[in-house]
Amino acid sequence: MNKPTSPAQLAVSRGLSIDDLVEQRRVHSAIYTDPEIFELEIERIFNRTWMYIGHESEVPRTGDFRLRKIGRQPVIMVRGKDGAVNVMMNRCLHRGAVVAEVESGNTKFFRCWYHGWTYDTSGKLVQVTADAGYEPGFCEKKGGLARPARVEDYRGFVFASLSDDVLPLREHLGQAADLMNYLIDFSPTGKITVNAGVNKTVYRGNWKLVGMDGYHVNYVHASVVEGWADDENSGIAAMHKNDPFSDEALTRTRDLGRGHVLLDFREHRMASIDKYVDFLRSIPGGPTYIDAMFAAYGEEQAKRNLSLAGDPHLGVFPNLQVLGNQIRIMNPVGPDETEVLMFPVLLDGVPDEINALRMRQHESFYGPSSSGSPDDAEIFERAQMGMNATVNPWIDMSRGLNREIVDVDGTRVGRISDETTQRGQMREWKRLMSMA
Amino acid sequence: MNKHATIARQSEVGQEYEAFLFHEARLMDNHRLEEWLALWDRDCLYWVPCNAEEVDPNRQLSIIYDGYDQIRERVRRLSGKFAHAQQPKSRLIRVLSNIEIESADDGTITGHSTFVLGEVRLNRQVTWFGRNEHTLVRTEEGLRIRRKKVFVLNNDTPMPNMTFLI
Repeated sequence: MNKPTSPAQLAVSRGLSIDDLVEQRRVHSAIYTDPEIFELEIERIFNRTWMYIGHESEVPRTGDFRLRKIGRQPVIMVRGKDGAVNVMMNRCLHRGAVVAEVESGNTKFFRCWYHGWTYDTSGKLVQVTADAGYEPGFCEKKGGLARPARVEDYRGFVFASLSDDVLPLREHLGQAADLMNYLIDFSPTGKITVNAGVNKTVYRGNWKLVGMDGYHVNYVHASVVEGWADDENSGIAAMHKNDPFSDEALTRTRDLGRGHVLLDFREHRMASIDKYVDFLRSIPGGPTYIDAMFAAYGEEQAKRNLSLAGDPHLGVFPNLQVLGNQIRIMNPVGPDETEVLMFPVLLDGVPDEINALRMRQHESFYGPSSSGSPDDAEIFERAQMGMNATVNPWIDMSRGLNREIVDVDGTRVGRISDETTQRGQMREWKRLMSMA
Repeated sequence: MNKHATIARQSEVGQEYEAFLFHEARLMDNHRLEEWLALWDRDCLYWVPCNAEEVDPNRQLSIIYDGYDQIRERVRRLSGKFAHAQQPKSRLIRVLSNIEIESADDGTITGHSTFVLGEVRLNRQVTWFGRNEHTLVRTEEGLRIRRKKVFVLNNDTPMPNMTFLI
C-alpha cells in the first residue's frame, strides 16, 4: 500500500497531464526526468512513429545484417535473398532469446542457440530441432520473426514503424526528405555509403536534450570558436565565416512540421558559394570532385548541392539527425541516459582524398575525444543534474516567439538562435504523447 | 658486436624506451599539456582507432587521427577555460605494463605496451584499458614520438567523454 514516493508518482499526484507539461513558451522538466513519462514516450513515440533504422548501404550483400533498436526493442536489418532490406524483431518465437548476438555480419541463417530454432534472412522459421515434438507443419504455422508494421525507405534511408497507423514515409518526412537530398546529392552519383564505422557515445541525460539548437554554439563550443580566431581560413572556420550564428546572419531555424527541424544555412552558404567552390578546388582531389559535380548536375544545381557541404543540419523526429558528415541515431536508454551513434558517410564517385578528409573533419568535432560533441554531452549532463531542482520546474523555450514567422512554404521560421526548433519538436512530442 | 654486448645494448634501449613511456604517462596523468606536446616530433601521427584495432583510416572512422597541427590544436583547446568536458579535469592514474621492444636501430625504436587507466571525475570512476604502440625517433633534443597508436579496449561500445590525454 505505502509504496515509496517516486518522482513518477509525484508527477501523477500533482495531477499533471501532457497538456500541462508542454506550453507554448515553456515545458515542465518532468518530461526530461520522470521515469513514468519516459515509459509513456517509449510506448507512444518510439513504438508508434517512423523510426530510422539504418542505411541500405550498410548491408550491401545478401545476408549482411546490422543490429539496431526501435526505442528499446532489438531489431535486425538484413539484406534478404530477394535483394530487399528486411527489418525484423530480434527475438526467437520460442522463448524470446535474440537470434543474432553480434552487431554486424553476414549469414545465411539466424539460429537461436537456446534450442536451435533456425530462421532464414527473410525471418521465416525454417527449422525446429527434434521436430517430432511438434505437430506436422509447425514451422509454417509459426511463420517467422515478428516484423514492424511498416518498413519503407527514402533513397536508402530505411525506416520502420511498429504501428500501422502512420502516414506513408515520404509524406511523414515532408520537407525533411528534400533536406536529406543535400547529403545524398553531395555525391556526384547521388549515392552515399555508410560503412565507415561508428562513434558510439553515451551521456547521462534525457534523449530530447540532443535537440537542434543554434543558440549554444558560442558558449558550449567556446573552446573551438576561440581557435577560429587563430586561423580563419582553415576548415570549419572558413565554413563559418561571417558568423552564421549571429542573429544578423541569413541563417534561420526552421520547424518543418511533425517534429522535423532544421538549422537552415542554405541562404547563408549560397551567398559565398563561389568562394567555397574555390576552396574545394584547392584541396587534394578537389578539382576532380568539382568537375564531377558540375558534369552530373549542371553548374547551377551543383552549386546548390555543394553549398551545405553535405550537411543539412536536420533533425528527423525522434531518433535521426543528418548533420556534419554523419548520420546520427539517438537511442533512449532511460530518462537520464541516452546513446548517440554517429555514422560518418562516405560519398560515392569521388576521389579517395575527399572521403579521407570527411573522416578527419568528422573526428575533429565528433566522437568521445573530439573538440565538439563531448562538450555538448557535458552540458546535457549538467542540464539533467540541474533539473532535479524542481522548486521552479519550468524550462524556458520562448526565444524568438516575438519574431517567428510562418514562411510561404508553411514552415515556421526564426533567427538562428531562436527556439523555433525546440518548439517544433515539442509540438510533435505533445501530439504523439496525447494520443491514447 | 658480440652476444653479450647485443643484450646489454637491447636492455639499455629497453630502459630508455620504458623511461620515456613512464615520463609521457606522468605528463598525461597530470595534464602537463605543453610538456606532452613537446614530446612529439613535428612529423608525427597520433592515432586512436575506433571499432577495431586495425582499420583503414582513409575509409574508416577513428577516434583520434591527428598530425602535429591537430595535436597542437588539441593542446590549445584543452589548455583554455572553455573545454567544458574537462571542467573539472579528470583525475588520472595510469599503470603501464607489458613493455616490449619490437625493433630498434640507431635512429628509431618501436615497441608495445599496455595500460590500465583509472579516471575519476564528478563523482564517477571509469576504468579504461588499452594497448599502445609507440615509434620513437632520436633527435638532437632526445627521443621524440613519431607515431603513437592507442587501441582502447572498449572502442566499439558507447563511450563517455574521453577528452583527457589518452
